[in-house]
Amino acid sequence: MNPRAIILNAYVYAVLIFILLPILVILPMAFSETTYLTFPPEGMTLRWFEDFFGNSRWMAATWFSVKIAALTAITTAVIGTMATYALVRGAKAMGTLFQAFLIGPIVVPHIALAVALYLFFQNTGLSGTVFGYVAAHSIIAMPFTVFTVAAALSSVDPALEDAAMSCGANRFNAFRLVTLPIILPNVISGALFAFIISFDEPVIAFFLAGIRDKTLPRMMFDDIEQNLTPIIPAIAVMLTLLSIVVLLAAGLLKYVANRNAARVEQS
Amino acid sequence: MSQAVSSNVKGASIEIKHLGKTFGNVKAVNDVSLTINAGEFVALLGPSGSGKSTVLMSIAGFERPSEGQILIGGQDCTRLPPNKRNIGMVFQHYTLFPHLSVGDNVAFPLKMRGVAKAERRRQAEAALEVVRLGGYGDRTPNQLSGGQQQRVALARAIVYNPQVLLMDEPLSALDKNLREEMQIEIKRLHAELGFTVVFVTHDQGEALTMADRIAILKAGRLQQVSQARELYERPSNLFAASFIGEMNMLPVRWDGVNAVFSDQDQIRLPDTASIQPVRPGSAILAIRPERLSIAAPGTEGSWKATVRDVVYAGAGSLLITHLADGSEVRLRVASAGQAPIRPGQEIGIKVPPEAALLYPADASQ
Repeated sequence: MNPRAIILNAYVYAVLIFILLPILVILPMAFSETTYLTFPPEGMTLRWFEDFFGNSRWMAATWFSVKIAALTAITTAVIGTMATYALVRGAKAMGTLFQAFLIGPIVVPHIALAVALYLFFQNTGLSGTVFGYVAAHSIIAMPFTVFTVAAALSSVDPALEDAAMSCGANRFNAFRLVTLPIILPNVISGALFAFIISFDEPVIAFFLAGIRDKTLPRMMFDDIEQNLTPIIPAIAVMLTLLSIVVLLAAGLLKYVANRNAARVEQS
Repeated sequence: MSQAVSSNVKGASIEIKHLGKTFGNVKAVNDVSLTINAGEFVALLGPSGSGKSTVLMSIAGFERPSEGQILIGGQDCTRLPPNKRNIGMVFQHYTLFPHLSVGDNVAFPLKMRGVAKAERRRQAEAALEVVRLGGYGDRTPNQLSGGQQQRVALARAIVYNPQVLLMDEPLSALDKNLREEMQIEIKRLHAELGFTVVFVTHDQGEALTMADRIAILKAGRLQQVSQARELYERPSNLFAASFIGEMNMLPVRWDGVNAVFSDQDQIRLPDTASIQPVRPGSAILAIRPERLSIAAPGTEGSWKATVRDVVYAGAGSLLITHLADGSEVRLRVASAGQAPIRPGQEIGIKVPPEAALLYPADASQ
């Protein structure tokens, strides 16, 4: 390896370590026996995990977040797939405008969106409701679903649906029985991303939270303000594991999707 | 080229009445009327952009006509969606469903018609046997060659015994040998099963060998609908004449009896030379290269020509010559028994008057 390559490698690894270091530092703190955050951790205990699972307020927040995230995943998968279908297969002129609306939230600062939704939801009574959260999270998760589904859909020959219709399928069945099974891995992968985006979304949750129902990230903020015990790194450990599992699942689905795409191209 | 209407006709007739399709301000199809008999094999032939695919897609129901009417088996289908027309269709790029096995692909139309699973399997296997792919049901489409995939697509199109089979350039993605094999295969199926076939192609050879009748389209308009022999020997206009096979086109002046060349050479034409009446004035004399023969220079009634090039092609040779007025005349003559001819040589060209056709010079007619 020549010196330039060594320097480049060293540089890349340095960047990676710089990015990963905060996570690597926070994770061991979850096992500290102290009631405050410290590094390096002192002793070794699973107490903070027990505290988390034994505390009804943390559990309620977790289940609330799971519910919101699951509904967001389903909503974006259904609406996102339909919208992407219109985008990829529909009229081009309308499509460009439509696309701007769909993926626009990716460039709008979440804080701006949160404030806007806060004012709007206050007046419509949606603040703190499940519907309000799901609607808000679906807006910010939608671009990711649209991107993953569009990638799959644009590689599927539209003539396949024509063929299905010539076989006697109506338009909906042509989609359901032919196009959907082919793009399904990407739809699920998009839904998984939507789940994660919703599950650890703090900004909108901060503005929309009611007195009773709080999402997990919102609870974590409360706890950081009041106590800051190692229960926070304990949750961080679990969230990190969840993200890794979802990423692996998405990776697996991508592999399946690529195999499907290869089939489509060959046939 | 007899029409394959057997006593047990299973096909449906197709009537296209004044079909028009406009995209933006482009008339892709312009007042096309065509009646296809039950059990007939009709090819729609034309260059790209001629509207042949739009006509087919209108019959299939994928295009909604701007004007006109389409009747299948006497029933008005103009506004009927494709899935309600009971047609079989084969597309250019096979369009097999990649996530389904070959058997499930072929069984798909049966599933859409609510046939029970065991019966679906049986009929799908039977259809695969018809296209000589028995036992391939458990494979996936990507395990098959292009020719095999197109045969699966054919099996899928005929599995529920449709009365009409539509084909959109089904063989254009295959190589030459496979294409000829499939042409025979499709002809055989047509003869055995008796459905009506509408076949879109831009390959004139394919159209001439396969179809009972050929409909030629140009710029959205129907030019001629005829059997192969008539189309080749008596094309109804200049476009059809130049589109099918090779044709010598010579500018002449027509005086009502004789076609006069610019150098005052002339040829007396029989009445049959003009398919439609040609008014005296400038006209085009059209003649197939294989109808001309070589004579000694100066032979009575022959044209005087100078050889420009000789292309030997095995059984036949192509002679490219020019007349005194400079217009090019091509001859296709048998290679065997021919005295060697060299470029620059003077020859006579013998023209059988009955082989000559006369068209008005205005190409738009």
